[in-house]
Amino acid sequence: MAFIECRQLSRTYKRGDQEITPLDRLDLDVEAGEFLALMGPSGSGKTTLLNLIAGIDRPTSGELLVQGRNIASLSRSALAAWRRDHVGYIFQLYNLVPVLTAYENVELPLLLQALSRKECHRRVSAALNMVGIANRHDHYPRQLSGGQEQRVAIARAIVAEPRIIVADEPTGDLDKSSAHDILALLQRLTHEVSCALIMVTHDPRAAEYATRTLHLEKGRLVEQLEEAAT
Amino acid sequence: MIPVRMFPLVGKYIVRHRVRTLLTLGGIATAMFLFCAVQAMRSGVAAATQETASETTLVVYRENRFCPFTSELPQDYSRAIAAIPGVKTVAPMRIVVNNCRASLDVVTFRGVEEAALHDADFRLLGGSLADWTRRHDAAIVGERLAERRGLKVGDILSAAGISVSIAGILASDNPQDQNVAYVHLGFIQRAAGNKQGIVTQFNVEVADPSQLDAVASAIDESFASSQAPTWTSSEKAFVARAVTDIVQLVEFAGWLGIGSLVAIFALVANAISLSVQDRAKDHAVMQTLGYPENLIARLVVVESLGVSLLGGLFGVAIAWSISWFGQFTFSVEGLSVIIQADAETIAVGLAICAVIGVGAGLLPALRAARLSTAEAFRAV
Repeated sequence: MAFIECRQLSRTYKRGDQEITPLDRLDLDVEAGEFLALMGPSGSGKTTLLNLIAGIDRPTSGELLVQGRNIASLSRSALAAWRRDHVGYIFQLYNLVPVLTAYENVELPLLLQALSRKECHRRVSAALNMVGIANRHDHYPRQLSGGQEQRVAIARAIVAEPRIIVADEPTGDLDKSSAHDILALLQRLTHEVSCALIMVTHDPRAAEYATRTLHLEKGRLVEQLEEAAT
Repeated sequence: MIPVRMFPLVGKYIVRHRVRTLLTLGGIATAMFLFCAVQAMRSGVAAATQETASETTLVVYRENRFCPFTSELPQDYSRAIAAIPGVKTVAPMRIVVNNCRASLDVVTFRGVEEAALHDADFRLLGGSLADWTRRHDAAIVGERLAERRGLKVGDILSAAGISVSIAGILASDNPQDQNVAYVHLGFIQRAAGNKQGIVTQFNVEVADPSQLDAVASAIDESFASSQAPTWTSSEKAFVARAVTDIVQLVEFAGWLGIGSLVAIFALVANAISLSVQDRAKDHAVMQTLGYPENLIARLVVVESLGVSLLGGLFGVAIAWSISWFGQFTFSVEGLSVIIQADAETIAVGLAICAVIGVGAGLLPALRAARLSTAEAFRAV
């Protein structure tokens, strides 16, 4: 049994009278500790798949099993609790809370857990150290460069020790050198934190850091499409 | 409510949106100040005019006269009044004011006999009754008048062409005592128009509160056919008649009070709505991190409550300070309505702010909670 199993996973949206199906009966297995890159053209369903795996969107049909548990069937509050305990999300545009310092942004997921102040401080400091941004802990997002902001976002994603990290084009807004640093960091984290990392990217050079790369097109894996054609 | 560890987060949202918060707080504080000022006037009017079952004081005035300058009664009525069954004490009083119209700075001289002051229900904050007794031009002044005019024991108070020496400063729960200068009856009769033997009114203490109306009727009947007939009523009813204009003004001001509450609601609701709109992305991020929708809603409500209470607190503090240091007293015909933002006004103001804070935060909170995370990120 794989760590994450997608079985005939579909997602359909209604936009006005139109029905859009960014994800169409997709099958996918992801193993624990794997660094998976998802590539494909715009509108191929990469981000939709990422959001479904992260539990911030629900499939229209199909099953999404994580460690054998179908998260698509969880209630909204149970799904929120599941995200809290299992998922770290890294965004392309960092999405740090602008009125909170780097430290406070990283601390945000831990406020949901009944931790002592000391333990909370230990975990936040460890996460900031791990991404090499501890010396900027009291800086606000506006005082940080793009690469530094993304490091803070990564620290926020790993601080609650999740089993799954999802990253939506984490280097899409960064220069080449910062992108390399961030990707190397993510690669290192999959080993150190031992979690499944699923990254959406347009950039083939970014995908080279992953242990496996899959391509999506019209809501299905290209590999699946080829199989169906033969 | 929210977990205690979340309160600093709400505090940071309030404090670090400095401009928005300060503007909102300024608006709320101004509106709450207005509300408290109106409430202070209303409670002042209530304290001065609302009768209770334990009333024992009657005021005997000249019939169909409404001003201390025109109410003239023979001082020797006091013997006849004292003889009426149920009457405990009679205090003839000559009243002189420096301004007959409604004003915030009226000095009311009350000329009384020595016994009346010895029996009076007040305490001295400074000076002594003995000094007042010794000196014919001495005055015991109310605390409010002393503070407003900056008077100390030994100072000279001049008003309405009369100068008196301050022999003491009194504190009293009776609003009518707080703004007066008690002087010797004979002195004021000579100083104001040389009208010896003439008084403005009699203050009559009745032994049994239930006999108040009966005694009032008996007094008026006694002098019905005399040259100077009387009109007797309880002290509170007497004040209510004299300050009718103020009562009407205050009733109208009540609408201003309600208007200021609506303004507070609109301000808080607007500030929180805009804040929720601005922070749609932050809330989406929080949902992604595992914040349940109802917790995000509660965070918004607590923020709304915090802003409303903080603004309210500033407003009541300003109202209390201004009314305390200003020592305002509305006076008309020598009768006073004290304007003071008391503890009840402050408590009511803050309670209303709390209710408004929660109410104004509910709709934005629902909006924040119903946000679809995936949609929110697509919109960014």
